[in-house]
Amino acid sequence: MGWLIRFLRTARPVRDLLVTVLILGVSFGISLAVSGAFSIHALVPTFFVLAAFLISLLTDGYVYGILSALVGTIAVNYAFTFPYFALNFTIQENLVSAVVMLTVSVITCALTTKLKRMEAQRQEAEVERMRANLLRAVSHDLRTPLTTIYGSSSAILENGDTLTGEQKTTMLRGIQEDAEWLIRMVENLLSITRIGDGQVQIIKTPTVLEELIDTVLVKFRKRYPGQEVALEMPEDFVMVPMDAILIEQVITNLLENAVEHAEGMTWLSLRVALEGNQAVFEVANDGKGIPEDRMATLFTVGGEPAVRPSDGRKSNTGIGLSVCDTIIRAHGGTISARRRPGGGTVFRFTLNLEDAGNDEQ
Amino acid sequence: MTNNKYKLLVVEDEENIRTLLSALLEANGYQVLAAGTGAMGKLLITSHRPDLVLLDLGLPDMDGLELLRTLRAEETLTPVIVLSARTDEREKVTALDLGANDYVTKPFGSAELLARVRTALRNTRHSAQEGRLPGGKFHLDDMVIDYDARRVSIRGQEVRLTQTEYNIVAFLSEHCGKVMTYSAIIRGVWGYPDAGSVKRLQVNMANIRKKLGARPGEESYIVNELGVGYRMREPSHEEK
Repeated sequence: MGWLIRFLRTARPVRDLLVTVLILGVSFGISLAVSGAFSIHALVPTFFVLAAFLISLLTDGYVYGILSALVGTIAVNYAFTFPYFALNFTIQENLVSAVVMLTVSVITCALTTKLKRMEAQRQEAEVERMRANLLRAVSHDLRTPLTTIYGSSSAILENGDTLTGEQKTTMLRGIQEDAEWLIRMVENLLSITRIGDGQVQIIKTPTVLEELIDTVLVKFRKRYPGQEVALEMPEDFVMVPMDAILIEQVITNLLENAVEHAEGMTWLSLRVALEGNQAVFEVANDGKGIPEDRMATLFTVGGEPAVRPSDGRKSNTGIGLSVCDTIIRAHGGTISARRRPGGGTVFRFTLNLEDAGNDEQ
Repeated sequence: MTNNKYKLLVVEDEENIRTLLSALLEANGYQVLAAGTGAMGKLLITSHRPDLVLLDLGLPDMDGLELLRTLRAEETLTPVIVLSARTDEREKVTALDLGANDYVTKPFGSAELLARVRTALRNTRHSAQEGRLPGGKFHLDDMVIDYDARRVSIRGQEVRLTQTEYNIVAFLSEHCGKVMTYSAIIRGVWGYPDAGSVKRLQVNMANIRKKLGARPGEESYIVNELGVGYRMREPSHEEK
């Protein structure tokens, strides 16, 4: 498998050219063999039509498809139709088969290019929509902490003399807490902007799994010193291609989400396992669980406003989870949540170990 | 009394952050100079010879990295701590490779910033050569590095490291408290960088961490700086 993956990772034009040459070569070989063995020449054009079709399908744009059609036409004309090993376009039969082959490849190229373009546009529109929703939800959520910060600081500045020391400390602590909340929010937003403008693809670097988990847990323990996280992960040296800053954000969001929202939680766990070609991450807790009717819209932002807690403080769940969703999808992975039998929630996401499945932009 | 104070220079264009930094550092017994532009910063560096520079990378008149480059081109060893944004690990690596001593990610807490300042000031006072003296030993918590015997031990028990692993550990200990980028470690240990060397370093580091008994999430002797490099923690002052 290794060679295939390495091959798929080579630069696009080189790859396309290799694909073209390879397929044409194979069809030429088969044609030679078939017409040699059975002296049937009628089949030959079909092989080349198939080759042109496959090449159009597997390469980018029109160039390689049309090129292969032309080469195919010339090859058929030259080697496999009368007069053999000479070009002759005067015979009507040859001319017709040439025209048919060109038409097939042009139409295939047009169709596949259109399909690829439509897919790209669809993904672009999806990201755009997600971003707009996020912006709306965020601007709404920003007001509450800003009110605290602005209100408390001006109260201390203007009425500093009449406030007791204790009152001032409480207000300052409020400012700090809400500023910390804002920091986390902004980190999430930065993660989204990191996914690039209109481009869904992100830059993946091979990241050592143990280093990633270590970094996440060190930071998490600083923020929630009392909270234990049961960890289970492979002992071996594993590298996973990812944007480490973003995946760090995803795991942190999932862990924090549990601490902030899973009421009655007694344990929190992080489990990483390798399953086939994927690294599977699971964050589980035994808290009160998420109501069934919320599960469907868990990863979308700006759902029904009724769902939001009235104090506004902790209403960033929707944003945190939708950021996770955006990041994982941009990595070509999947994310899901399920209710744990016996209470609690399991969040699960996957990342590909090799970058071959989803071909790069 | 004032003569004994360390002189720190803050180069930061945001006035609020500049005021905050000045107040915080002055309250902790440092003498503070402040500059709002790169040009002003340059001027103050040459005229006042500060003991440490806190440098914001996004300055209005010049790139902070540019200032760092000119500073290092003049062969001044003044420690520089870079203030940078979270998402720019490439910028952090560039700054470190250009000779910055450390970076602090914005937004930062006061405790973290002060700790970095103390570390950077201490590193210049007694850096590498101390460990290299005959009989030199490095103590960090219950780990001891014996540079003469090329041995690392934890609670008296020898940790069996390969040559390369020992070299990495020794290299990091000589620069303890400071983030060393992947390329800096590779240059220090192998002498030359090549395509596979970052992965080789990471594999070695995974083995080292395992042998030192590090468990994910528990800050061990060596701290991960994801995407940037590694940092060996600095021994607390009493241990020295």
